[in-house]
Amino acid sequence: MKTPSTGALAASMIGIAVLALIVTGRPGGHAPAPSPAPEGPAPSSVSFAGFTLTSDAVSLPVDDRQFPDGPHADVINANCTSCHSASMALTQPTLSAEQWKATVTKMKEVYKAPVAEQDIPAIVDYLTALSSHQAK
Amino acid sequence: MDKLDTWLATKSSRRRFLGRAALGGAAVAAGPALAQSLVDLHLPGGNAERPITSAFPGKGSMILQRMHPPLLETPMEVFDRDVFTPNDQFFVRWHWADIPTSIDVDSFRLTVRGHVERPLSISLAQLLRLPRVEMAAVNQCSGNSRGLFQPRVPGAQWGHGAMGNAKWLGVRLRDILDYAGVKAGAAQVRFGALDQPVVAGGPDFGKALAIDHARDGEVMVAFGMNGDQLPLLNGFPTRLIVPGWYSTYWVKMLNDIEVLPGPDDEYWMAKAYKIPATPGANVKPGAKDFPTVPINRMIPRSWVTSLGEGQAIAYDRTIPLGGIAMGGDCGVAKVDVSADGGRSWHPAKLGTDHGKYSFRRWDAQVPLAGRGHVRLMSRCWNSAGHAQPMEPIWNPSGFMRGNVETTTIVAS
Ligand code: HEC
Repeated sequence: MKTPSTGALAASMIGIAVLALIVTGRPGGHAPAPSPAPEGPAPSSVSFAGFTLTSDAVSLPVDDRQFPDGPHADVINANCTSCHSASMALTQPTLSAEQWKATVTKMKEVYKAPVAEQDIPAIVDYLTALSSHQAK
Repeated sequence: MDKLDTWLATKSSRRRFLGRAALGGAAVAAGPALAQSLVDLHLPGGNAERPITSAFPGKGSMILQRMHPPLLETPMEVFDRDVFTPNDQFFVRWHWADIPTSIDVDSFRLTVRGHVERPLSISLAQLLRLPRVEMAAVNQCSGNSRGLFQPRVPGAQWGHGAMGNAKWLGVRLRDILDYAGVKAGAAQVRFGALDQPVVAGGPDFGKALAIDHARDGEVMVAFGMNGDQLPLLNGFPTRLIVPGWYSTYWVKMLNDIEVLPGPDDEYWMAKAYKIPATPGANVKPGAKDFPTVPINRMIPRSWVTSLGEGQAIAYDRTIPLGGIAMGGDCGVAKVDVSADGGRSWHPAKLGTDHGKYSFRRWDAQVPLAGRGHVRLMSRCWNSAGHAQPMEPIWNPSGFMRGNVETTTIVAS
């Protein structure tokens, strides 16, 4: 058992003061005056000492873009558009078949993409063909 | 005009690939069907056109790299306007698409757990009552400028705009950890967030810092960005700020702080965001088996922002040139500029110092040797005496680019 130093004691006293604060929760008297909202209630907010945080709700644009048509487009569309936009692959530079194979394997092994083993060659062919058109 | 040409070329090559006319949408890699306008990121080898979008909540005009989950890049001209990047044009980067689209400030809790005496569950009302600190700091993606690597490497194909500078307002992580009481033997602190993998078993995003780093008094939990709350896409309501370190550690929508008795061995620390353990993270192109370490401190960088790649100007004996610089993990000591591809250099005048982790504006008046193509460069020295190297580095993940960049303009 160590005897706490003065520094440690001071720190733990601050700790206790703030802990009490954390345990007691929201202080009274700082509720922002509700501003009349024309449509429905205003989003909730918390403020203290000149700073306010207001609940936020957004909607994100939906990407329904598919891979361009071509041999095996159906296979790549079925396997490579669920976790991220097709653009993740379409913005890539010209990559070799080997590099594409490594990427597809990474999707399956690391990110747990449910890609069937027998679909991999078709996906790699599609991407390699795309790359060689890009290079022209 | 060459923008239009490249665009048309992309369009026609994709058409050939399609074998029949596409019903729109196939022209630009990242694009929605009707791109509003395009920007050329000048990535070597092409496929460099990206749409400009204003379709994201809380965001103005941004370069669209990927819609789902969003990867949005800041256009370079934004950096010319102010050393602080406005919240609505600050870059956006998520790994997994399960991002909460609504956050309720009453029910949100930041938990502190693990190797601590007193696990905490902190509400935002409580967080706001803790002692506050504010700091200007650059937030830069590990892979910023990856698209410029040669040979090219897979990953998000960023130009230079996966970075931004803001005044972050929040609470010292040290204070939070001290309130929780870190137990002896703590080694690291892991930070978890509200975003989740979209498939079962996928690696949940989390990052860790050594306990001493976490307690250095600079690392903070921010709730304010340039005087406002954070845009949801930049991590509302709370984000970790790790001054001088790459953005991968600046966990967004931070809701979990876990003190660990050993190193974090999960995917995003143990396998991803690793750099070669070589000077400057540099290896021979194609190199594979080399020792690695987690990416960490940033390095000095600088950019010309007053003129853009390919811009035409009227010839004059001298021209004004301006831009921004960052020291990385310390301040900016000096910036030199060149208008002849690096043969002669001229000192730039540094603007207001907003702190060692901030962008610093620089301005200079440089002589032009003649008409025609002019290769502009800027080179930053940080306060530790490190200068940007002239030659680019290479590594297979495209991390830590920091060489002197060239902007070619035409004077006529
Ligand atoms: C289980 C989800 C999932 C599926 C399905 C998936 N990916 Fe990915 N992919 C990811 C994640 C996560 C990343 C990393 C995202 C980031 O860094 O923003 C990624 C990144 C990428 C990248 C960038 C390079 C890299 O290594 O990070 C490419 C290219 C890519 N995916 C292509 C594909 C292709 C092709 C398919 C179809 C075989 C596919 N993805 C299917 C999750 C997935």
